[in-house]
Amino acid sequence: MAQPRISAYLPPDIDPTKAALAFGRRALPKLNEELQSPELLTQQRALMALCDLVHDPEKVYQAIALGFLDSLKTLLVHQDQTVRQKTTEVLSIMALHSIGREGLIRSGVISALSGLLDDPVDICRKNTHQIFDMLAKLPEGAGGVLQAGLIPPLVLKLKTELEEIQELILGTLSNCLRVEVSEALAAGAVAVLKEKLSHPSTAIRSKAAWVLLEISSHAEGKIAVCKEEVIPVLVSLLEDTQPEVRVNSTGALMFALVTPQGRSSAMGAEAIPPLLTLVAEETSKARLNAIKTLTLLAELPEGRQTLLDHRDTFQRCLDDPSEAVQRAAEIAITVIDWKP
Amino acid sequence: MRRALPGRRTPLPSGSLRRARPARSRSRRMEPTAVPVRAPELTAPADVPYSFCSQPRSLPSRPKYREQSNGAETEKGPVRYGNIMIDPRVVRGNVLSVRPPPPQSTEPHTLEVKRPRRAQRQVLARKFTQEHIRSGTPEPVKGRQHVHVQTELYLEEISDRIIEVDGECQTDDFLDRPPTPLFIPAKSGKDVATQIEEGELFDFDIEVKPILEVLVGKTVEQALLEVMEEEELAQLWSHQRAFAELRNAEFAELQRLEEQDRRIKEEKERRRLEHLEKLRKQKETAEKIAARAFAQRYLADLIPSVFNKLHDSGFFYDSIERDIETEFLPWLMSEVEETLQKKVLGRTVLDSLIRTVVEKRLDEFSHPPPSAQTNAPAEEPRTADAAPKMSGEADSADQPVAEKEETDQPVAEKEETDQPVAEEWPSVSTSSQLEE
Repeated sequence: MAQPRISAYLPPDIDPTKAALAFGRRALPKLNEELQSPELLTQQRALMALCDLVHDPEKVYQAIALGFLDSLKTLLVHQDQTVRQKTTEVLSIMALHSIGREGLIRSGVISALSGLLDDPVDICRKNTHQIFDMLAKLPEGAGGVLQAGLIPPLVLKLKTELEEIQELILGTLSNCLRVEVSEALAAGAVAVLKEKLSHPSTAIRSKAAWVLLEISSHAEGKIAVCKEEVIPVLVSLLEDTQPEVRVNSTGALMFALVTPQGRSSAMGAEAIPPLLTLVAEETSKARLNAIKTLTLLAELPEGRQTLLDHRDTFQRCLDDPSEAVQRAAEIAITVIDWKP
Repeated sequence: MRRALPGRRTPLPSGSLRRARPARSRSRRMEPTAVPVRAPELTAPADVPYSFCSQPRSLPSRPKYREQSNGAETEKGPVRYGNIMIDPRVVRGNVLSVRPPPPQSTEPHTLEVKRPRRAQRQVLARKFTQEHIRSGTPEPVKGRQHVHVQTELYLEEISDRIIEVDGECQTDDFLDRPPTPLFIPAKSGKDVATQIEEGELFDFDIEVKPILEVLVGKTVEQALLEVMEEEELAQLWSHQRAFAELRNAEFAELQRLEEQDRRIKEEKERRRLEHLEKLRKQKETAEKIAARAFAQRYLADLIPSVFNKLHDSGFFYDSIERDIETEFLPWLMSEVEETLQKKVLGRTVLDSLIRTVVEKRLDEFSHPPPSAQTNAPAEEPRTADAAPKMSGEADSADQPVAEKEETDQPVAEKEETDQPVAEEWPSVSTSSQLEE
């Protein structure tokens, strides 16, 4: 009998691990049904096909409109690790699109993902943290992460997780702590971050400094930072070889030195010379932050004395192409020249 | 030797194994032999325990040569078991189908011929196998001797010691099995060939274009999509990062200014409080000074006034004065009073005298009217009495007051009261003097 199958071998460009896609508009609804099927293989194949489709923003929009997120949420707690891994991958690709992000926040995927923080499979955890990272870049996402009470577990995970995942966690924390900092302080974030400042990896150091920046932009954060004596460590990071680290640590100092105790501790750690080096560099991104920090230090009498000698460095900053740097330099000069 | 029992069907007694397998000759000829099959009637029913007709045992190797004589048989060498695989006695091949009987002699095989020949053979067999049958054969009759005899077609030399020759063989090195040649079935039918010349069906270059376009296009589209995604994200993050930096800088500035403001405010507040404190203290001091001055001034008069008051109230007294006042003056006054009382007494006496006189006169004059002159002087003394009495009363009223006054005055007053009385009546002046 004639059969549509010509040979026993499948055609070479068919991937047996993926489900067959229906044509056009019918593709996603069919995949949705397959996702809910009780058979494991069907679910896995549907997920593999979905992973590829989700790169297209239109498909993401359609998927969210069809209510894929609910079926994906139920699959997040599946026993099979491939299913979980693929589900988190799909969600992380969805989070790369803005519609996807909004959809994820609205349907409460964050709280569903919080159970996956302790997953034994590395890739699942990595994807989960990627999703958190992406979502936290939106203000609503950061709010969602805070409301789900994820900050204390994330701070704890910082101590134990792999390096790549630590970077993602630090990114998430930096965006969330911009909003509110009390939970993180209660979980002892400052101590953990102080350790991370001396990590060999550049990315982790720079991100840890960024998180400290966000923490010290709040009043209670400033107090905590001064108390834990992070400022000397930050001052030592000003001379780091990597520009990223320098920028972020200068920024962190910029906020932490607003308090009088911070200023005295910085003066004690002799922060002025490295800051002056940073200001003198023409093309550094840290210039702006360094000028601001020096402005803060110039309000102290000892600082003003020292900086009066280096006034011409600030004069040169007035020629910087960036407007913000110019303004900052003007303010700095005003403060240095102020007489009581 | 004729073979005996080619088609023997009955089971042989045990121990006559040699006879039981006589079909094999000493040569390597593989002769099919009939396997002794049990007659159906002898098949044991199931409930009877099974017993072997011939116990299964491993066969010793067959002697190469037949047994020559009894002497050869009595030597029992070591029993050497042979290899069952190359044992020619083991039946190979199909054991279940009827095999053609082993080749017989050339004599005709008709039934009539067979029967007497068989009987004959049996007799012979009985004779020759007396020795072989270990059991079941009765003992030889006296005078007879049983002899073992071979009854097969071909005689064998039976000996325990088998002459053996070692032979070996070896396979050659394995040659590669040549690949099975393709099975090419026999050709049948007619061969027809067709050939598509180049350019007949389609022009490859033209036809391949749309396919290639689609392929390449789709690939590039997908790649672009992904690259776009990543680029978009990278742009977004860099944008966000730049914004975040600016924001942080501004925020830091804000906080710095806040802090400055706070410090200044605090300073101001402190100074204000200090100033207020200073003012308050000043005020307090001024008040204190004023109060002090006032108190001083107020109290400056205190002592003199107190002294004055005390002095006035008689606390500081001159003892002589006191003396005079307390003793002398009351005595004086009492003396004066006495004197005055005397005077008053005198006046009263006088008044009563006068009154009696007047009453007498009145009595005297009331009877006949005496002269009017006595009325007139009687009225005048009455008015004169009244007047000095009145002046006397007035004076005496004045006097106790005057006593309280200073002592140097009463004497003067006395004289003063004297004088107005003296003005009215010089006659009464003496009486007034007396009164006084």
